[in-house]
Amino acid sequence: MKDLLGNIPLKNRISGEFENAELFHGIDTDNLAHIEGRWRPMFEHRKMEAKGSGKSLSDINAEDLHWQWGKKAIAAIQNPLVYDIFALECGGNTQAVMLVQKGGPKCFSRHEEHPRAPLVYLDFLSTAPWNRPIMVSEPVYKGCGRALISTAVSLSFEEEMCGRIGLHSLPKAEDFYRDQIGMSDLGVDDNYFNLRYFELPASQAFKMFNEI
Amino acid sequence: MKRTMTLNLSAIEMGFVESLCAEKGLSKTALVRQALRLYKSVDDRLAKGDKVFVENADKTDKAELMIL
Repeated sequence: MKDLLGNIPLKNRISGEFENAELFHGIDTDNLAHIEGRWRPMFEHRKMEAKGSGKSLSDINAEDLHWQWGKKAIAAIQNPLVYDIFALECGGNTQAVMLVQKGGPKCFSRHEEHPRAPLVYLDFLSTAPWNRPIMVSEPVYKGCGRALISTAVSLSFEEEMCGRIGLHSLPKAEDFYRDQIGMSDLGVDDNYFNLRYFELPASQAFKMFNEI
Repeated sequence: MKRTMTLNLSAIEMGFVESLCAEKGLSKTALVRQALRLYKSVDDRLAKGDKVFVENADKTDKAELMIL
């Protein structure tokens, strides 16, 4: 079950044209079929190639390959009080998906600007393999990750959390969150798989939305 | 669809609600919503048989969080 939230222009890097993407709250069996039937074979193919040439999943920009979106969708359906899941579709395909938590132990800020203030915690975000630099030589749609992060910030505003979001980043995505989104790098979290923890403080969220 | 309810709280309880709202920058509705989410996420873990621990800042003391 999913609801259309709105349209977002995405740049198709191959054609150079902007296309109208649809942003949904919730995901359905079509999205899961795209992920399992279109994303996964491409990931697996690249994984085999990488293995043959001694490369790691990080080297091919596929550190999230093991994430099971079917299970995440069930979690979101069973517990809508805590979870929200979003899908971005364009060109008849699922281009990116995101699962966030709106409450719980992970939803307290660690940022010095507002310690312990509530935030939206971005649990998982994946983009389709054909949109990923390194994974493919010519990524198709630009801005899928940014569109979903903006959705999380927007949800945070809607929930009276002033746009604050937090997340633990996989190593390959650290530069994206730090340099392109402008999130604060709060260092390695030794209580969470030694991943770096990032936050978008309220001041930055406000700036981000005023720039759009 | 949103639904409305009336809460009967003591003066002390309401004082805590109002001070938390001021500290967190939340309305009473948003505060109750956040409290519910936290309660549910902790209770779900306990229902599965998990334990929830709280550790002090210098990591010298760790205690199980008891939920009544």
